[in-house]
Amino acid sequence: MKKRVRLSEFGAAEKVLTPLSYSDLAPLPGEDTSQKQFKPVRPELWEKYDYSLDGFSALNLPIPKTPEEEAAIVNSFLAGLEKLFKKENNWAFLQPTVLSTEYCMQCNTCNEACPVYEASGRQDIYRPNFRSELLRRIYRRYFTPAGRLLGKWAGADVELNWRVVYRLAELSWRCSLCRRCASTCPIGVDNALLARELRKLFSMEMGIAPDAVHKSGTINHMITGSSTGMTRAAFLDNIEFIEDLIEEKIGRRIKIPVDKKGADIMLLHNAGEYMAWPENPAAFAILFDAAGIDYTLSSEAMGYEGVNYGVWYDDVQYARIALAQVQAAKNLGVRKIVVGECGHATKGLVTIADRLCVGDFAIPRESCLPLLEQITLSGAIKFDPMKNNFPVTMHDPCNMVRLMGIINPQRNVLKHILPPGQFREMPNAGTNNYCCGGGSGFAIMNSQNFPEWRNNLASRKKAQQVLEAFKDVLDPSIPKYYCAPCSNCKGAARDALMHHYGFRDKYNIIYGGLVELMVNAMIDVPHPFITWEDEF
Amino acid sequence: MNSLEGFVTGPMVYLAIAVFTVVTAYKVHAIMNMPRHLRWDLYPVPHQGPEGSKYQKVDFYKLPKQFSLTHELKEMGEEIFFIKRAFLNNRKIWRGSYLLHLGFYIGTAWLALLVAGAVMEIAGVRVSAAGGLASLIYYLTIAAGVASFVFGLAGTLWLFHLRVHDEEMQAVSDAVSYMNLGLMLLLFGTGFAAWLFADPTFALLRAQVAGLLTFTAVPVQDSLIAWQMFWFSVFLLYLPFSRMMHFAAKYFFYHNIMWDDEPLKAGSDMEKDITGYLSYSVEWSARHIKHRGNWAEQVASRPEREVDKK
Repeated sequence: MKKRVRLSEFGAAEKVLTPLSYSDLAPLPGEDTSQKQFKPVRPELWEKYDYSLDGFSALNLPIPKTPEEEAAIVNSFLAGLEKLFKKENNWAFLQPTVLSTEYCMQCNTCNEACPVYEASGRQDIYRPNFRSELLRRIYRRYFTPAGRLLGKWAGADVELNWRVVYRLAELSWRCSLCRRCASTCPIGVDNALLARELRKLFSMEMGIAPDAVHKSGTINHMITGSSTGMTRAAFLDNIEFIEDLIEEKIGRRIKIPVDKKGADIMLLHNAGEYMAWPENPAAFAILFDAAGIDYTLSSEAMGYEGVNYGVWYDDVQYARIALAQVQAAKNLGVRKIVVGECGHATKGLVTIADRLCVGDFAIPRESCLPLLEQITLSGAIKFDPMKNNFPVTMHDPCNMVRLMGIINPQRNVLKHILPPGQFREMPNAGTNNYCCGGGSGFAIMNSQNFPEWRNNLASRKKAQQVLEAFKDVLDPSIPKYYCAPCSNCKGAARDALMHHYGFRDKYNIIYGGLVELMVNAMIDVPHPFITWEDEF
Repeated sequence: MNSLEGFVTGPMVYLAIAVFTVVTAYKVHAIMNMPRHLRWDLYPVPHQGPEGSKYQKVDFYKLPKQFSLTHELKEMGEEIFFIKRAFLNNRKIWRGSYLLHLGFYIGTAWLALLVAGAVMEIAGVRVSAAGGLASLIYYLTIAAGVASFVFGLAGTLWLFHLRVHDEEMQAVSDAVSYMNLGLMLLLFGTGFAAWLFADPTFALLRAQVAGLLTFTAVPVQDSLIAWQMFWFSVFLLYLPFSRMMHFAAKYFFYHNIMWDDEPLKAGSDMEKDITGYLSYSVEWSARHIKHRGNWAEQVASRPEREVDKK
């Protein structure tokens, strides 16, 4: 049942502000939720951690035990909030933050664009402007003369307590930063940006961030060289394993170039590919070898890892990683960096880093998708589309499509490697597409009961889109391919679409990247590269 | 004319115009002079034209700058004159918002016509239905004024209705939203009442405008005229301090954030600015931040494994 939550009561001493139940969720075709319940949280965890937003925890926030601890939480938050609006601390996003804080007209247009809000059964707390309004009203209440003096008459009616701070911290991790809301706002207010700014405040001032993103993510990335914990030695072992895999798949060995000085391109994969989907870097190696591309991988710490989780929550961590990646390319003397199939890595290094790469850090960086299109259209590789004679739909990763405008290259590739009639667009394809549900760190956040929230709410709209795209071929005797040229999107496909919603078992849908489909259609590759039985 | 009416129709109007102009200019200047931010594009970017994003091309950085003024102006025009995004994504709010904006657009034209008519009167040309340019101004002023009040009132009432009766709108509306609508009701309402009951040809108001232009006190013939001018001045005084300043801020949302695809070039002012920002001292307090280091030092530093830290 929809729970009405007033902004001014966000800090109320309720055990759970908005308890969720399956019956609230937007229904999926063929889904029976009548007997389903969210897994209850164990009593000892209830005592220890804060679940008071919606019954879920992304942050493992320990409940304060004394009034002093409660006051410290509030004071630390206020200190961070003040810094968020100072140019010395936030020059990188000050203008967008100030504008989006000051000029929302409260028209609710953003709500209808949000997949989480819709999937939740339109719960108030998930409205994109709900968390932004909290931020605005708290800021006015504590940092503007009008707010201090006039309170609610100046739109400053949220009083802080530790619950407000902790719930707001959790709430900042209930938005996947897809920015679909921003693309519909008549003014241009960006609630996703404000969610990220809140995450930043919590991380950079209070040290609060999901462990998977921070401790096991960016910190681990800088210490070991990769967010996966993969060291240089392990990376080189993985490359050897991938060369073995290629030999097994295509019957000949390809030497993957590593640390080749002066190569034209440094190819930068999300290191998760080496661990979870090695066929993806293998497919890149096969294609680049066949097309005669002069490229190399880097074995330098942080040079073999394309992810940059800082994009989602922390400007300092983001900048450290982005510039280390560029430094690796500088050390190799390559002409440019090409980022593999990873959305946030591409946006993080190509777009956002653009104005960080001053001086000799200005090495060109681009997405792999145009290069894959060029390889396809150049005729350097012969494809037989009939080798991909099954229905395929294309997921548009938010980071590369809505936030970079890369729409056509991947579709032009598909036109050449699929037989006519086998490609079908999802509803809302292109810049209007929905997040996979794994965006902004969700795909890697697997602690506590957060995955249950993610799979049921964040990925629900994507599940609807996929079913709609394949609605005429849902019969499981017809194999189908969900093409997601992004590592995090594949992670969400694996965990939500395949395991949680059971699309593989129910409908015979598998998922994978674009390069796997390309290699599968190569005339020179004797056996199917995509073997339905092995996928995921 | 009592002294209060004299104040409202004279000094208060000058004060309101001055405050509005100075504060608006100050705010716009402040926005323009904020530090350059990192890229935060949102696509499609209209000035990239039908070819779309350059990121779709190999070696995009070698391509000449894409700028299709036609496509940018078309998108701007659709947004400014038709509020396209609300039309496409929130028809319910668009109905009220569009009428309200029409009220303001036509109202601005009406003010310009009033000033034009007043200047003609000062120059000795009587603005009336008698014929010629003066009669065109005469009729256009009446049409624009009435249309502005009607559209503005209709839009405001519709938005009021939504905020009061629509549960989703109630949930997000703060007191300021209601006050803003209340102020607009008074603005358009007093204008409409003055036209209807006191000044059907706007001759009285034109005389007041002529008085303002020549710094001459003009007797107020009807208190509704004074009320109309009072609420106009209040509105002007309040506008630049309110979220309704989005009429100016919206430009920056679109051109400086969503559509800002200007790349960093070696030796550019942008590069110099950003190099300067890297010397800002960072005050954030979390453990992985280098204490008091500037941005350049932050980027060069590496956090320790947090579990090892005391």
